[in-house]
Amino acid sequence: MALFPITSNFEGDFVLQLVAVDTENTMDEVAAAAAHHSVGRRVRARPGQILRVRRQGAEEFFPRSMRLGEAGLKPTETVEIIWQAPQH
Amino acid sequence: MALLNRMDWYDLARTTNWSPKYVTEDELFPPLMSGAFGLPQNAWEKYDEPYKQTYPEYVKVQRDKDAGAYSVKAALERSRIFENADPGWKSVMKAHYGAIARGEYAAASAEARMMRFSKAPGMRNMSTLGCLDEVRHGQMQLYFPHEHVSKDRQMDWAFKAYDTNEWGMIAARHFFDDIMMTRDAISVSIMLTFSFETGFTNMQFLGLAADAAEAGDHTFANLISSIQTDESRHAQIGGPALKVLIENGQKAEAQKRVDIAVWGAWKLFSVLTGPIMDYYTPLEHRKQSFKEFMEEWIVAQFERALTDMGLDLPWYWDIFLKDIAETHHGMHMGSYFWRPTVWWNPAAGVTPDERAWLEEKYPGWNDTWGQCWDVIIDNVVDGNMAMAYPETLPYVCNMCQLPILGTPGKKWNVKDYPLEYNGRLYHFGSEVDRWCFEQEPERYAGHLSIVDRFLAGMIQPMDLGGALAYMNLAPGECGDDAHNYAWAEVYRALRATKKAS
Repeated sequence: MALFPITSNFEGDFVLQLVAVDTENTMDEVAAAAAHHSVGRRVRARPGQILRVRRQGAEEFFPRSMRLGEAGLKPTETVEIIWQAPQH
Repeated sequence: MALLNRMDWYDLARTTNWSPKYVTEDELFPPLMSGAFGLPQNAWEKYDEPYKQTYPEYVKVQRDKDAGAYSVKAALERSRIFENADPGWKSVMKAHYGAIARGEYAAASAEARMMRFSKAPGMRNMSTLGCLDEVRHGQMQLYFPHEHVSKDRQMDWAFKAYDTNEWGMIAARHFFDDIMMTRDAISVSIMLTFSFETGFTNMQFLGLAADAAEAGDHTFANLISSIQTDESRHAQIGGPALKVLIENGQKAEAQKRVDIAVWGAWKLFSVLTGPIMDYYTPLEHRKQSFKEFMEEWIVAQFERALTDMGLDLPWYWDIFLKDIAETHHGMHMGSYFWRPTVWWNPAAGVTPDERAWLEEKYPGWNDTWGQCWDVIIDNVVDGNMAMAYPETLPYVCNMCQLPILGTPGKKWNVKDYPLEYNGRLYHFGSEVDRWCFEQEPERYAGHLSIVDRFLAGMIQPMDLGGALAYMNLAPGECGDDAHNYAWAEVYRALRATKKAS
């Protein structure tokens, strides 16, 4: 376990933000930590949608249950937090 | 005794170069300070200043200018203009004085560097007068706000701002340190006088004086006009230096300095002037949008200045032209949302009528910036104030030191421009900011942004209270909504009407 700073680039928001997470956090938990600073403050919640995490510029999302420490991100590296409609 | 006309003796009197016998030319004019670009003294003797003024003329004119500005101040001191001014206008004054007043004193030392170390005699004369100008500007812009300090603690930031680690001041210091405090004499003439003053401040002061008159603040209008007349003279110091450099095969180096300084000036304008023009100024007093002002006064004027000089437009001109319709909306939202961290009270400027104006001036505003404001407005109207404030820091750019931002909502395009240098990950707000850093990485690499300082444990405790203490923002100085959220009543009334129908 170790505190780990990331830079959140949250879909629909206007600014990058510093977010403190933990290397043990899953990507869903990372997305929730980022959402805390954007959703309901400047970005409307999207009921029924989930949030996915990817490296800035990447097409593929990290697996939802992947732990942050396994993602190979550098401290303060920017991740994009993207809304995803449920897949049927 | 008959006096000679100025032009009968001016050129001779200011031809003050000589051939040193006891020291070398490099000892007399150390290249680090002089920035001679490998050119000998005689190349710089061709420097021909377009605005020639002698010391007696200068003193006479300046005395009249001071008498004018100070007498208007004295006459209006009991007029209660400050007490009765729109809170948005007071915020304009506070932001302006804090960001500018002490910077003027710093500029006096930059002018003094040109005065002592430039190899061009004409530049030495011009910057002697320029140095006195900047001392005058520093003194006036500290003296004029002083009468309001007892009425409003935020006015104390006219003096205090430059001594603090408030984030906007870190950004201002980083920029002014880069273009005027740590450059050689010739680079100062290009980056401070030609790029910043000709390109931006000269016109900005004209616009600000007009806004002040419109707001009924004639003391401030006179002060700013008085300063602007000095700016329009000493801003011309850089032009002839550029000419000498271009004629001697140094265009690329000259162009690079212009490109770096113009970009930094633009970023500072986007956070200071953009919000003032498009959000703080009461709707009935707005003459032009910030974008229109930039296009008419800055872009057109500066494009002409560059091409007249034989320089190219900066390589990023297309990016700049796009940014003048976007960046300042984000800078406004940032300084509003993080309002406890500024020394003035930002005016939200988002009533339905103001939003209609923004949509007209910036088509698509409601689908982008408006989407974020919808959420902020709902929280304010609902009294859900905890959500109308931040709980973390925005990430700031390692070049301009301002938040890294873009367009939100339906045209979301926010992006980081990272760079790894010597094992450290740097973040930039644009391709241009990153390019500026890459021109001379060692110049900037050691600087810590406010976020870097936070992560390094320099801000304790690591919360808003700790951050405010680090930024020297005492209670009573922290910013809050300029109108104490009175604008939210319009939205409450709209809701009530909707509910009733």
